[in-house]
Amino acid sequence: MDIELIKFMFMLTTISLYFNVAISLYGVVSKTNLVKKLIALTIFQDTVNMFTILIGYKLWRPGLLLQPPVLTDLSPTPETLREFVERSVDPLPQAFVLTAVVIGLAVTLFLTTIILHVSYHFKTVNVDEIGRSKRVYIHEEAV
Amino acid sequence: MLRDLVFASLLVIIILALTYLTYSGGLGDLPPRDVRVIASNYLNLTYNQGITWLWAASPEAVTAIVWDYRGLDTLFETVVFYGAILAALTLFRSVSKVPEFVSSAGLSLVVKRVTAIVTLAILAVAASTALHGHLTPGGGFQGGAIASVAPLLLLVVFGKQFFIERRISYSKLLTIRNASLALLGFTSVALLILGFLTGFQAYIFQNQAKTVSTLSYPPYLLDVPLGGSLFFFNLFEFLAVASGFTLVFTILLSRDETLRKELEGEELGY
Amino acid sequence: MMDYVDLVFLIMGISALSSVLFTFLTVKTKDLMYAVVFSSVQSVAYALIYFLLLAPDIVLVYVAVSVGIYPLIVILLVKKVGRYEVVT
Repeated sequence: MDIELIKFMFMLTTISLYFNVAISLYGVVSKTNLVKKLIALTIFQDTVNMFTILIGYKLWRPGLLLQPPVLTDLSPTPETLREFVERSVDPLPQAFVLTAVVIGLAVTLFLTTIILHVSYHFKTVNVDEIGRSKRVYIHEEAV
Repeated sequence: MLRDLVFASLLVIIILALTYLTYSGGLGDLPPRDVRVIASNYLNLTYNQGITWLWAASPEAVTAIVWDYRGLDTLFETVVFYGAILAALTLFRSVSKVPEFVSSAGLSLVVKRVTAIVTLAILAVAASTALHGHLTPGGGFQGGAIASVAPLLLLVVFGKQFFIERRISYSKLLTIRNASLALLGFTSVALLILGFLTGFQAYIFQNQAKTVSTLSYPPYLLDVPLGGSLFFFNLFEFLAVASGFTLVFTILLSRDETLRKELEGEELGY
Repeated sequence: MMDYVDLVFLIMGISALSSVLFTFLTVKTKDLMYAVVFSSVQSVAYALIYFLLLAPDIVLVYVAVSVGIYPLIVILLVKKVGRYEVVT
């Protein structure tokens, strides 16, 4: 068990998640198609949830075996309970991420119906063309 | 074009700064050495038979935190999910009023027989995941998301004629969803109402007996832990989520002309 | 020699690197069906990382939502709206 290799791999995971955040943010801001913006937004939400769960992990030590926060003994003695508390990872970030995934899904469903309505009204899903045709509308109403 | 270049170079500078800070120890020990005090507190209390005035009667710590120790957060998450599905259905109101008349034969015979077998398996796995949420990883929302795949497969393989013949209509699914959400709200205040009627003291979202109130849901079913109110919460959330997703899929899989009929009259300015 | 603990973290590092590659391909391609497929492969890499970080509840939710429901809704949208991205 090589502590340096473990720490290096964990840091490599964190840095590649930074890259994911940057690429998906670029996709949300700079691409002109509404569907591509929606796909990049979902990648951004997933990466932020991954950060939250990375914080709840624990460092391996020789002689300590990690365990997910589920007790497998249905009638535990106090020694079993103490070992469970020492070995298990953090359950609080997992509860928060459950709520966050459900809310992200609800927002995406709503955005899909809005994109359908926009495409039927303006006959396009390109953001630049929608801006141009809205300027024509406003100019016609003012005149 | 210039705006894209400026934004991309800003992102590259921020990534390099963050990488340097993380590499030289800015976030502390990665991964952390020990969990926080509040986490070890919850892990100690969730199935501890020595401290029965603070326990949650379920050996699964994440479900106990989601539905018992931090139950109000989950209540508002359910409200947000309900509101989003409501908004998505309101934007296509005219599609739901009149059932569309299609005559579709579906796919070939081999696909139909295989789908009939697989659908039973999907429903069994989803029910097991939802109802065992207090013993194994799983729970209400996971089971509901898995169970919403089965009506979708039936819609695609057998055609919409399948649902219309068996009279699984829009209003029936809406009734199931509203009823299960109302029962979910009732489960959270059931002990409070019982306390009013009998004169004992009780709390909102109460699961087991505390020091000042002696009312509680049953913690054991014959000899298996039942988790008190966690079992009922998982069951009602499973029904609500499965029917909510089925409603949205029924609307979105309609034909293009039916969906465009929602917007007719817009050139006259309504 | 290499322990199985080292192997777990090695797989975590390789999955994270491959998810960067698939995210870049998702943002760069102009065919929206390909974008949906690349996004699903990136979600599978993330689900493997969630499993290695000992979070089994999250794996169940994430696989059902992000490999099952999101691509379905985006493919319905792409069929009704238009498959190719037009850059002027």
